[in-house]
Amino acid sequence: MTGYILRRALVTLPTLLGITLVAFAILNLLPTDPLLTWSDGTAPLSAEAASRLRDALQPDSGPVTRYATWLFGLLRFDLGRSLRDGRPVTAVLAEALPWTLVLNLSALAAIYAVGLPLGWIGARRRGGAAAAGRALLLILSVVPPFAAALLLQRLLAVRLGLLPLQGTGAGDAPGVAAGVDLLRHLVLPTTCLALAGWAYAARYARAAFRAILAPEALAAARARGLHGISLARHFAPNSALPFVWMVAGIVPALVSGSVVIEAIFSWPGLGQVLLRGVEGRDYPLVMALMLLSAVTVLAGQLVADLVLPAIDPRLRDLVARDENVRG
Amino acid sequence: MTCGMSGRARAGLALLPLVTAALVTAALVAATTTGCSPARDEPAGRAAARRGGRFVFPLAIEPATLNFVSGTDQASVMVERLVADSLVDHDADLRVVPRLAASWEISPDGRVLTFHLRDGVRFHDGVACTSADVVYTWERIMDPASHAVGRVDPFLPVEKVEAPDPVTVRVTYREPYAPALRGWEIPIMPAHLYRGTDFATAPANRAPVGTGPFRFVSWEAGRRIVLAANLDYWAGPPGLDRFEFAIIPSADTAYQALLAGEVDYARIPQAVAATRAEDPEFRRRFSEVRYVPLFFNYIAWRGDGSNPFFADARVRRALGMAIDRRGYVRSVLHGLGEVVSSPFRGLLPPSGALPAGDTPAAGAATAATPDLETAATLLEAAGWRRPSTGGLRRRNGTPFRFKLLVFAGGDDHVQFSQVAQDDLRRLGIEMTIERLDWQALLSRLRSGDFQAAMSGFIPGPDADSLYGLLHSSQIDGGQNYAAFRDPDTDAWFLAARRTLDDTARQALYRRIENRIATEQPYAFLFAPAVIAGVSARFEGAKASPQGILGHMPGAFALRPAAGGS
Repeated sequence: MTGYILRRALVTLPTLLGITLVAFAILNLLPTDPLLTWSDGTAPLSAEAASRLRDALQPDSGPVTRYATWLFGLLRFDLGRSLRDGRPVTAVLAEALPWTLVLNLSALAAIYAVGLPLGWIGARRRGGAAAAGRALLLILSVVPPFAAALLLQRLLAVRLGLLPLQGTGAGDAPGVAAGVDLLRHLVLPTTCLALAGWAYAARYARAAFRAILAPEALAAARARGLHGISLARHFAPNSALPFVWMVAGIVPALVSGSVVIEAIFSWPGLGQVLLRGVEGRDYPLVMALMLLSAVTVLAGQLVADLVLPAIDPRLRDLVARDENVRG
Repeated sequence: MTCGMSGRARAGLALLPLVTAALVTAALVAATTTGCSPARDEPAGRAAARRGGRFVFPLAIEPATLNFVSGTDQASVMVERLVADSLVDHDADLRVVPRLAASWEISPDGRVLTFHLRDGVRFHDGVACTSADVVYTWERIMDPASHAVGRVDPFLPVEKVEAPDPVTVRVTYREPYAPALRGWEIPIMPAHLYRGTDFATAPANRAPVGTGPFRFVSWEAGRRIVLAANLDYWAGPPGLDRFEFAIIPSADTAYQALLAGEVDYARIPQAVAATRAEDPEFRRRFSEVRYVPLFFNYIAWRGDGSNPFFADARVRRALGMAIDRRGYVRSVLHGLGEVVSSPFRGLLPPSGALPAGDTPAAGAATAATPDLETAATLLEAAGWRRPSTGGLRRRNGTPFRFKLLVFAGGDDHVQFSQVAQDDLRRLGIEMTIERLDWQALLSRLRSGDFQAAMSGFIPGPDADSLYGLLHSSQIDGGQNYAAFRDPDTDAWFLAARRTLDDTARQALYRRIENRIATEQPYAFLFAPAVIAGVSARFEGAKASPQGILGHMPGAFALRPAAGGS
């Protein structure tokens, strides 16, 4: 098993390297002037000030040297410093990462919380309210997130004053109150982010439940005297599998959607760092973000490869055979 | 890294002055409410004594750093104005006013500027602010390692800065330098917190200490920057207890946040500004602020001969005449803006004669309604003729077809360029439009790799700031993107710098203005107005061409409204 994990991890390395290379190439193809990054693009630059700055900056080494320097730093776990404010990239990311995690996890939870019950009901009954609910979700899923955001902001925050419009809350309230405040601020961005996922989750869950809860299987189980909780326990391991896989369908959409949602709701997450980084050609920052997302995706695959055999005996056999072949 | 313990510690420290502030406020309220009922037209002293409240101001972009010398983006400067003091400042009408310097004098030869600082001013950490801090600030600006690109220009002509005693600063210029005084609108750094640290990464860069009306409390990355009243401010405590900058990247969200009561100031989108002004509910909750910033939009015609079109002033004049700026301001901007006919708009007194002997520019009335006939005549004279078969104008077989670069993120850029495209088509000229992001546009402008480009310019309060756009030394590396080269203009700019007499100096700028109207290296277009709402819970907001914070007293004068909560 250890050999299997090691091999899988090693295989991802060239992929990672390729991703950083592509990201670096794209960043370097964008027209820019290093002086503009340093002056934030807005300062009134006279020719004299510009030439002084050019002298003070390191002579602009070519892209190959810069990439090599960056890669060499990476080997020492040094992601470099942001060109914009000179702080370590890791510090900048560490500030934003928790916010992105909170937002995306709560959106994921919202998708499951709505999608699974609807799928369950849909699988058990034909037509009626569940179908209407799914149709509604389908319509909602084609509403662009920013449009939904603007509508919800105007209605729930401005017109009715029920929820905060944007931001993360004051954060200086004590304990429980701060938590409640944060949750209130999470409602609108989470809803907008989950919007596109609900219809998908409901349809996916319905199909999954249908397959698992085939009438024959249910009848057989009932005939053996299973009912209620014991029935659910009997079917749980089998049904878990598709729902673990469902994450893979949702997460990439969440990550790209959250860039827009973060900007609209003033959510201080990685999406904003990325936008700012690309606009400012802050390449150490952008490279680190690319690396982070690549590592996340690859690690996700690796974890799936490890978790799924643990759940599914068929996959376990496959891994074992793989081990034997390679010795 | 910074959000864990240190944040909490800072918040704890911040409570102490807050409690003090609350007590002071309570005492003041008690003092003012005993006896007589507050009169409608209360005396100024009484109004100034009313203080308290938390004002939330949206910032679209988070400051890069709060190092007073290196942080020169708009957001950083806004925060620095409140936390720190400069020697001099300008009021809402852009006149120079004293700030940290109580007074100053200029030597008869115009080379030595002596400031007399206020006595007993202390930084927020209690350390005295002296002339040594001023000298230190200047040294850091001049040190190339500080990357102080946005601050260095007014100090290039400085020979030396001395501190003969703790409250005197003597600045010697190599030659008389008329814009010298305004150059000292720079926030003064606390030398004691920077000496011996790495300037670029010093802790004070993210927790600044100044002498200004507001103390720094906390900076929560990506979320907000919190300031609290400096109760020991040399001009007395400010009218607000707390000033918060909330980072809100979307302009629309900022406006909605104003309506939802989450911020106390926001720009009102032009499309709804007219209807909002008549909405009684809106007028009850918000007061309106209007100003036209010094910022203006222009098209630079690259006139260095790298394209066959724009080296000829007649062509530039013709195109300038054909573009309907007034129509754009009236229809697209809903009248909320100004047509710009001179780059010196707002920087020179409105009336002022040309020096005797100068002939007024032929095409001076460019900003009026488009004149296609005169434009066509000019183009014919320049050799650009319309073929009898129709189609584009040609000269020696070359069709008049060029590309205009615009900023894709600017609504004004995109919309105006489309209007101008139609205007020019009627003249037999085809203009294609290429949309770029800001960095790409700027790097193309700076490398001169374009035919025509739309951009914007933000002049300072002094007419000398047009030097960067028009002086030939600024073609390579500066902002003279049109590559305009005129020996007279160059000489007049330099002479104006050496001329201390205001009238004589203005006459020189009038000459430049007249020459620019004839040569038209740029088509000066329009300046959109800013219409903003301020929560009615506060009063004292005053608009200047640099907004409600960008002048003295600015945020210092904001205070809770009479009868408000």
